[in-house]
Amino acid sequence: MAGGRRSRLELVFDILAAIQNKGGRIKPTHLMYKSNLSHKLLNNYLEELLEKEMVEVHEIQQKKTLSKMIHITDKGLGFVEEFRRMREFTDAFGL
Amino acid sequence: MFTLFETPTWFAGFDLVLDTIALIITLIISSYSYKLFKLSSNRKFGYFSLAFALMSLAFLFKLATYTVVYFSTSRALAGATVVAVTGLTGLETVNVSLRDLIYRFGFFVQMASTLGALLLLYLVSQKSRDRLKKFYEVSQITLFTYFVILISIVATFKYTVFYLTSFVLLALIVLNYYQNYLHKKTTNSKRVLTAFICLFLAQLFFVFIFAANWFYFIAEILTLASFAIIAYVYMQVSRKQKPRSVEVKT
Repeated sequence: MAGGRRSRLELVFDILAAIQNKGGRIKPTHLMYKSNLSHKLLNNYLEELLEKEMVEVHEIQQKKTLSKMIHITDKGLGFVEEFRRMREFTDAFGL
Repeated sequence: MFTLFETPTWFAGFDLVLDTIALIITLIISSYSYKLFKLSSNRKFGYFSLAFALMSLAFLFKLATYTVVYFSTSRALAGATVVAVTGLTGLETVNVSLRDLIYRFGFFVQMASTLGALLLLYLVSQKSRDRLKKFYEVSQITLFTYFVILISIVATFKYTVFYLTSFVLLALIVLNYYQNYLHKKTTNSKRVLTAFICLFLAQLFFVFIFAANWFYFIAEILTLASFAIIAYVYMQVSRKQKPRSVEVKT
């Protein structure tokens, strides 16, 4: 979807929605592409989301290497749901 | 029961039920917008919440005013309260003048808060200049032109001035929501547009109550229909949804 500069809240939504769309878990690199954010910016947001318990980072063994996987929590899913309602309300009432 | 000149006898009292429903709906929308304001810290939700809170205040004052005016028991109670507070004697005399006093004060608060709410709705439903520059400017000029004309004629009209002002403000709000519908093309934006068209038409009937008092009934029904649609949109938006894929903004 094309649009103007995303607000902080929209960025958080886009990150969480990207994780949700991939079945609730995603690799950090994939998340970076899916959410259209730079590595630095994504890390900043992920730190905040970890603090707020909206995502969790799990380490999984893949072949001989350990790789990180980002999981969305119930709190994160709740935020996505609430934001989606807010967006529908905004669209309906022209806000 | 006292009957107002613009209220059909058979409808007096029933209008209070309709206004109570509208009051509840405006309170729900106001509180939901406030919740969104707290969540997002976006001022537009705050203004929207305030607009609906002002509408609630208007309905509350209309209910209080009309209850006192319609029912003699409430009128006597209000009169006795005023006598007790002010120390005035001659309850009968106070009651007679009190009817007008309460009505005028209630109408003033209802008018001020409704116009405030509509003005806020008009401003908050405006789109950014870069997107709808021409429309924005035309509507601003229309609004200010109207107020200049209003000041000129306000002395010659009574309650109709209020409904005329609401009519003009709602015409502009309807245009904003029409633009919104053209932009979004969603079912809910169409419903909101329909709701404000109903409210807009209601003002037209309110203006012409002097011609036929049953216009009051039509205006009240249209007002209720408007808020019922808004309530339906709210229920559609706020219902629990199944998780689904979403498009990420670029």
